[in-house]
Amino acid sequence: MLCLAVLTLVVFIGAASLYSNFKPLWQQQKHLVTIAVSKTPLSTPFYVANAIGAFDDTCVSVTFDEVVGGQRAFAKVMRGEADFGTSSDSVIAFQSLANRAFVTHAVFVQSDNDVKLITRPSAQINSALDLKGRRIGVTKGTASEYFLSTLLALEGLTIEDVRQVHFKPDELINGFINNDVDAFVPWEPFAFNSAQLLDSQIKVHDTKSLNTLSFNLISLAADNVLVNKAKCIIEGLTIAIDYIASNPDESKKIVINKLQLSAEFIEWVWPDYIFKLALNQSLILSIKSQVIWAVATQMTEHNEIPNVELFIDSRAMLQVAPGAVNIPL
Amino acid sequence: MTLSLSQRIYFFTIICCLFFAALLSSVIWSSQTVELAFSRDQYAQQLNNQTIILKQLITSDNIYASDYSVSHWQVLQGRLSALLKSAPQLTPQQQTIQNSIQNQNENLKRLFTQITKNKLKNASSVIKSHLKAKLMTQLEAIRSDSLQLSAIAHNDIYNTIKHEALIIISVSGVSIFVLLFGAFTLTGIVRKSLNEVKQAFEKNHSGHFEKIKLSHQSQEFDGIVKAFNTMNQKLSENTVSLEVMKKVVEERTHVLKELSNTDPLTKIANRRALFERANMEFSRALRSKNKLILLLLDCDFFKEINDKFGHIIGDEFLIHICDVCRQEIRDIDFLARYGGEEFIIVLPNCDLLGGIETANRIQCSLANHCVAVKDKEVCVTLSIGVSMLSERHKNLDQLINDADKAMYQAKKNGRNRIEVLTPPNLH
Repeated sequence: MLCLAVLTLVVFIGAASLYSNFKPLWQQQKHLVTIAVSKTPLSTPFYVANAIGAFDDTCVSVTFDEVVGGQRAFAKVMRGEADFGTSSDSVIAFQSLANRAFVTHAVFVQSDNDVKLITRPSAQINSALDLKGRRIGVTKGTASEYFLSTLLALEGLTIEDVRQVHFKPDELINGFINNDVDAFVPWEPFAFNSAQLLDSQIKVHDTKSLNTLSFNLISLAADNVLVNKAKCIIEGLTIAIDYIASNPDESKKIVINKLQLSAEFIEWVWPDYIFKLALNQSLILSIKSQVIWAVATQMTEHNEIPNVELFIDSRAMLQVAPGAVNIPL
Repeated sequence: MTLSLSQRIYFFTIICCLFFAALLSSVIWSSQTVELAFSRDQYAQQLNNQTIILKQLITSDNIYASDYSVSHWQVLQGRLSALLKSAPQLTPQQQTIQNSIQNQNENLKRLFTQITKNKLKNASSVIKSHLKAKLMTQLEAIRSDSLQLSAIAHNDIYNTIKHEALIIISVSGVSIFVLLFGAFTLTGIVRKSLNEVKQAFEKNHSGHFEKIKLSHQSQEFDGIVKAFNTMNQKLSENTVSLEVMKKVVEERTHVLKELSNTDPLTKIANRRALFERANMEFSRALRSKNKLILLLLDCDFFKEINDKFGHIIGDEFLIHICDVCRQEIRDIDFLARYGGEEFIIVLPNCDLLGGIETANRIQCSLANHCVAVKDKEVCVTLSIGVSMLSERHKNLDQLINDADKAMYQAKKNGRNRIEVLTPPNLH
């Protein structure tokens, strides 16, 4: 009877073990991965993942190559200096026009108020209509340029109606201080820095929701190995994003320390951010509409509208968070 | 602490009840979790449907038309906002998405207001279609988030059911194990204890009053054992075992038998034993047609010895004669005191010559071994009559009688002789 009892126990333990998923007991092989990370609070999931060791249990050993702006991160990836990069959907839209061999693996953050219009109070600019004929500082080929064009279009203007002055993102404010421009369109943290630095000398316009920006994990067109690496990075990001949701204060501290930002700045931008992993139809629509817009407004020398779906690779996301993937296969 | 069997049964029953209570509560918990997950899924589906309706409206209506009324949009948009406010309790992960949807909804409202504020009368058709596409993107973002909400709810349902199945399997497994273990233990205790009591009874039956020592302690059996041991103690004090009694009787019987068949002086067989054995040998010899010799020995001048040295010395002479005879006869031969100073030796499977030879040996031995009486060697002699079984002998008495006659012949012929009753002497 004892035998029977032991046998029953063994059978039940066996069934239970088979029913539950075993994690592999052996250590996974680690891939060395370099990620070109844009130095912005939008990259919070990466900084948090690194700080809490979210990549430790994945198949990647991550090194960050910090750059200013998603465009530079994109360039690093294309030059092969980094395996992955973080870029906004605007950068993706502009680069897809050039038919570069890259793919987007996941969206990890959205903001509807990242890019802002800053003017001088003395310039008396109250609406987009007042921008006509003015010198406006933008960063070419980024969300900055795209945002300006849509803002103008709301009042029937085009970029031809203004004088665009191109600056690198961190140099926009200098152009404004040196009076090279009447207005400029920076993204965070440059908008906040300008507000801190110039305070009453500038006017930050309420343009919330006119431009929704997303930050994405991109790489060169991926083979299976690269998809596997992307999968591991996304696994780390999932842990980090869950951590951000449950520990917002600690997450803010991590970003403040990492980017040497003020707590005021983080409090300024944090409400605009939504950290979540996704790869859905809205990204495609957003890129598509920006591409069409760029062609229609002659912001680019390319005329042919590419098939945006080709720049989306859902294989990694489908392995980690299939529920967050909603695109036609 | 010794537990009673009934306490053990209660103990196992309580453990099993606890297990089943845990199982029941986990099932209740799971059903509530699944119900909540279903309500979240339903909520996500409603959001999805509402978004699709709004998307259809944007697709079908010309929102830039001068006569376009925003009221229809506002009603549907209001429903979406109201729906968002009626969200059920969400998980942290879902709450992040819920926040995203609320944010997207605000953007949607602002964008729509911007677009319809002045019907974009200054804007080109390109920006109009672009902004319409943006509206669609915004709605699609909400829809995608709703689908993700739903996917998480589905995942939660799957995980909850999976965990519940695991809990049911493990709790059932442990319960069955505990039940089987309990049943095995109890049966084992009862069986072993009963066996020990049974063995004690069996030992009692054979007169071994041993105490029961239980391998497993239990109040019920401890009581029985205590009573049994007390009873056994009393029995062992008051009772002589049958075995011992039988042995004593056998020993006494043996002693009595020895006494009844033995001559108290010479310690050889007496007359009674002689007749018993001689009759047996007589019958056997007749049956098997074997030879049988009888020697009748009589001490010469025994009366004079008694008169001269006294009866005690006389007795010693008789003992001496017996010792000598014992040494000279075979193992199968039988020596007995016939009476006074007369002895008979029964020689089975022996012919006449053998009988005479035995008689001779005895006489020679007696001649060589005299008895020291008052520093003087005194030798005794025997007159020996030999008779051999023949068809003429109908019974033992006749054979003895012949030997007696031969012995008197020997006395008559001068003593210390051996005489055989030969056929011519018969009649």
